[in-house]
Amino acid sequence: MNNPLEPNSESGRTEAARRRRIRWLVRVSSLVVAIVLLLAARQTRWPVLVPALSPFVAAGSILATRAFAVTACLGLAVGLIAMLRPRCFCRWVCPLGLCADGMSYVGRRCGRKPAKLPSIGRWIVLLTLASACLGYPLLLCLDPLTMFSGAFGIAESRTGWLTALPLLLVLTTSFVWPHIWCSRICPLGAFQDMLAYPLRRARQARNQAGGNRSSSRWNPPLARRTVLGVAAGAALAGIARSSQGSTPRPLRPPGAIDEPEFLGVCVRCGNCARACPTHIIEPSLGRHGPAGLLTPILHFEESYCLVDCTKCTQVCPSGALVRLSPDGKASRPIGLPQVDMSVCLLAESRECTECGRWCPHAAIRYVWSETEYTLTPEIDAQKCTGCGACEAACPTKPNKAIVVVAFENAASG
Amino acid sequence: MDKHMNRRECLRALGLSGLTAGLGLTGAPASHAQGVGESSGFQSSVIDAHKVQDMRTAATIVDGKVIQPQRELPILHQTDVLVVGGGSAGVVAAIAARRAGASVTLVERYGHFGGLWTGGLVVLIIGHIVKGGKQVCQGIGEEMMRRLDKLDGAIIDRRPGVSPTVDAEAAKYMMVEMIEEAGVDVFLHCWGVDAIVTENTVRGVVFESKSGRQAILAKIVVDATGDGDLFAAAGAEFEHRSHNVGLVSRIGNLDRVDAEKAGQAPKPRRLGSATPVPGVNWVNLTGPEVDGLDIATLTQMEMNHRKFIWNNVQRTRQTPGYEKVYLVETAPQLGVRITRILNGLNRVRLSDLREATKFPDVVGVGGSSGATHGEWQIPYGALVPTKVDNVLAAGRCISVDMGMADLVRLVPNCFVTGHAAGVAAAVAVRDNCRPRDVDIAKVQKVLRQQEAYLG
Ligand SMILES: Cc1cc2nc3c(=O)[nH]c(=O)nc-3n(C[C@H](O)[C@H](O)[C@H](O)COP(=O)(O)OP(=O)(O)OC[C@H]3O[C@@H](n4cnc5c(N)ncnc54)[C@H](O)[C@@H]3O)c2cc1C
Repeated sequence: MNNPLEPNSESGRTEAARRRRIRWLVRVSSLVVAIVLLLAARQTRWPVLVPALSPFVAAGSILATRAFAVTACLGLAVGLIAMLRPRCFCRWVCPLGLCADGMSYVGRRCGRKPAKLPSIGRWIVLLTLASACLGYPLLLCLDPLTMFSGAFGIAESRTGWLTALPLLLVLTTSFVWPHIWCSRICPLGAFQDMLAYPLRRARQARNQAGGNRSSSRWNPPLARRTVLGVAAGAALAGIARSSQGSTPRPLRPPGAIDEPEFLGVCVRCGNCARACPTHIIEPSLGRHGPAGLLTPILHFEESYCLVDCTKCTQVCPSGALVRLSPDGKASRPIGLPQVDMSVCLLAESRECTECGRWCPHAAIRYVWSETEYTLTPEIDAQKCTGCGACEAACPTKPNKAIVVVAFENAASG
Repeated sequence: MDKHMNRRECLRALGLSGLTAGLGLTGAPASHAQGVGESSGFQSSVIDAHKVQDMRTAATIVDGKVIQPQRELPILHQTDVLVVGGGSAGVVAAIAARRAGASVTLVERYGHFGGLWTGGLVVLIIGHIVKGGKQVCQGIGEEMMRRLDKLDGAIIDRRPGVSPTVDAEAAKYMMVEMIEEAGVDVFLHCWGVDAIVTENTVRGVVFESKSGRQAILAKIVVDATGDGDLFAAAGAEFEHRSHNVGLVSRIGNLDRVDAEKAGQAPKPRRLGSATPVPGVNWVNLTGPEVDGLDIATLTQMEMNHRKFIWNNVQRTRQTPGYEKVYLVETAPQLGVRITRILNGLNRVRLSDLREATKFPDVVGVGGSSGATHGEWQIPYGALVPTKVDNVLAAGRCISVDMGMADLVRLVPNCFVTGHAAGVAAAVAVRDNCRPRDVDIAKVQKVLRQQEAYLG
C-alpha cells in the first residue's frame, strides 16, 4: 500500500508537509503583496485591488449601487472559485486570515480555548445583501479585506489611528477565542460557504444516493434563515435610512454617492484617504452620527482638492465614490463655500483677498457695499467646484471665515 | 545735498534771528517767546527775483484751446540715480543706490517720507514672512525695523512670525535720519510731472514745485511713485487698472472704554488695530473699486470716506462705554492701492507663487499676508519696462498679474522691490549700461552685501 494521499504512509506525510510549506509560502507572499499594494496608495491605483478581491464587497456594492465597476470582476472571480473550492481564498490568500491565524496560534499557546458560538457570519451576509437591495448595505464594512486595508491609514491623519481599530479588534478576538473570527464571524468566509453550498449539496445528495450517510454540518434550515435575514436586513436598512438627516451632512470626497446610501456602500477601507495627495480626506470620528464612523470626510484647513486629481475615486472598491474624469469632477461640485462675515477680515476692512487669490476657478469676487461700507466675498456657484482652496487659504484663526459645506447644508440664495 | 542743506541752514538761521529780534523787541523771557512771536512779527525781507520766475511762460488760449508755449526749463540738479516718489519703495531704493556708490537724488511730492506707509497711515507691516514664520524681507527694510526698535514707542509686535505695527511719525523721522546718513539729495514738495526722453531713453524728470517747473537730469530714473507716473510719461507700456480706494484713520481713547458699562453687548465694529500709541488704533478702510488716477473720483472718495469715518466714530461714541472714543486723524494721503501696472520684461505671477518658481534673475523674495504661502521670488525683469530704457519701476506699480498685485503692494514687498531697483540702478550707472543689460550677478552680489534675502 503506497498511496501518496494516505497521510499515514511515509511519502504521504512528506507530501502533506510539502503542501503545508507551499501554502504557508503562498499565504505569506499574499500578505506581503497586499501590504505592498496598499502602501503604494499615493503613486498608483493598486490599493483598490485588495478590497476588490472580496466577492462580498462586489455583491454588496453591485446590489446597492446598481452599477457594475470593472474592479468588481475580481471579487466575482474569487466568488466563482469559492463555488468550486470552498474557502480556498481563506486558506491560500486572505491576508487578514493569516494575521488572525497567527494571533490564534499565540492565543492557544497561552492556553486560550476556542469559544462555542453559532456562525453569525451568515447572518451578517444575509442582512447586508438584503439591505443592499434597498441601497443601504448594512454591514459591508465588516469585510476582512476592507478592514485590513483600513488599518493602513494609521499614520495618515490626525484621526488615522482609528482606522486600525477594526483590525485590532479582529486580532484581539482571535487571541482571546482562537479561530473564532474566521470560522464563525467573518462575512467573507460565510459568503464563500454560502456560494459553495449548492454544489456541496448536490455532491452530498449524490453520496447519500450511494448509501454513504456521512453526517454534515452543512444542513441549515436554509429557507427560514434566509427569509428571516432578508426581512431583518430590509427593516434595518429602512430604519438606518430614515434615521439620517438630523445631523449635518458631512463633506464627502468628489464623486461620492448621495447620503445616506454612502454610509452603507462605503466600506471604510481608507483607500481614498491614503490616495489623496493633499491629505484632505480623513476618517470621521462620528461627529456626523455614529453611522458615519470611519467614513471619509474632507477637511480643508491646510490644503484643498486639486483640480485635476481624481485619485480617490479610482481606488474606491465599493462604488461609494463614483469613478470620475477631471471633467466629470468639475461638473460634480463637492460643496459650496459659505462666508461668515463676523469672522472675515474684510468686515474690519483688513487687507485680505486670499480666498480669491487661491480660487482656481476665479469664482470669488469682492463686492463693495455702500451701506455696509465694506467688501464682501461673493461666490459664483456656477464656477465653484467646492474644492476648498479658498478655505485652505483663509488666514483667520481659529475659525475660518470661508468654509465649504455640503449642498444640503448650504444656505440657499 | 550741500546746496540744499545750505539753503535749509540759511532758513533756520533766518528764523532764529527773527526770534532773537522778537525777543529783543519785547524783552520777554525765552519761555514766552513763542507766545509773542506771532503778534510782534518775524523778520521778513524782499527776495531778489529768481531766475526760475524769469523763465516762466504763462499758458495762453489759441483758437479756444489752452496752449502751453514751448519754453526752456532750468536744470535744478544732475545726478546718477533719480528716485521719484519717497514712499516705502522709493526711500529704500534711494538709500540702496547711494550705498552702492551712486550719487542719488530723491524727489517727493509731499513733505514727508513713507508714502502710504506713513502718510496713508498704513502702519501694519504685513507680508514680510512666509508659511512657517520665516522672515523674507531683510536688507534695508529690516534695518528700518531695527532702527524703529531703538526708538521709544515706535513699533509694536516685533516678534518672529508676527506682523509689527509702527508709529507713522517715528517712521517718518527714522527715514529722515537714514536718508541724511546715506547722503541722498532730497527735494520735497516736488511733483514729478514729465519724463525727459530722447530716443526711447529717459534722461531725467521735469518737476513742478513752488519754485516753478524745473528739470533734474539723471542717468537712471527709478519710478517709485506707486502710480507709475514717470514710466507712463516716458512712454513705457502699462496696464491701467481700477482697485479699491480707501482712507485710513486713527481713533483714540480706546484705553478709556468703560468695560463695566460696555458689559457683554457686542463691541462696535471697526475699532481697528493697536498702534504703538496707547489707546490709539488705526482703522483701515477698503473702499470701492474705482480709477485711482481720475481726479474727480479721487476727490469724491476723499469726501465720501471723510463723511463715513466721522459718522462711524459718532456711532461708536453712542455705544455704552465707548463715549470717550474720538477721531484722532484721517490719513493725509488717500489710500490708492493699484493704478498703473508696468508691462515689464517679466512679471510676478500667481502661477510662479504656486509652483515656487526660481528665477535666475531673482532680486528679492516676497512674503504673504497672514503667512499663508511659501516664498515667491521676484525676477529683475518685473522692474524693467519692455520698451523704454533707463527707467526702473519699484513698489506697487511693478510688473505683476492681478493674482499677485495684492501681495506685491504690501509694504515689506515694496521695501524689497525698492531695494532691488536701487541697487540695479547703481550697478547700471557704475557699469555704464542700460538697466536691461545690467550684470545680474553683480546686482545680486551687492544686494547680498546689503543683507537682502534672495532665497
Ligand atoms: C488703505 C490701504 C491699506 C493698506 N493696508 C496695508 C497693510 O495693512 N499692510 C501692508 O503691508 N500694506 C498695506 N497696504 C499697501 C501698502 O500700504 C502700499 O501698497 C505701499 O505702501 C506702497 O508703497 P510704494 O512706495 O510703492 O507707494 P506709495 O506709498 O504710494 O509711495 C509713492 C510715493 O511717491 C509719491 N509720489 C507719487 N507720485 C509722485 C509724483 N508724480 N512726483 C513725486 N512724488 C510722487 C507719493 O507722495 C508717495 O510718497 C495698504 C494700502 C492701502 C491704500
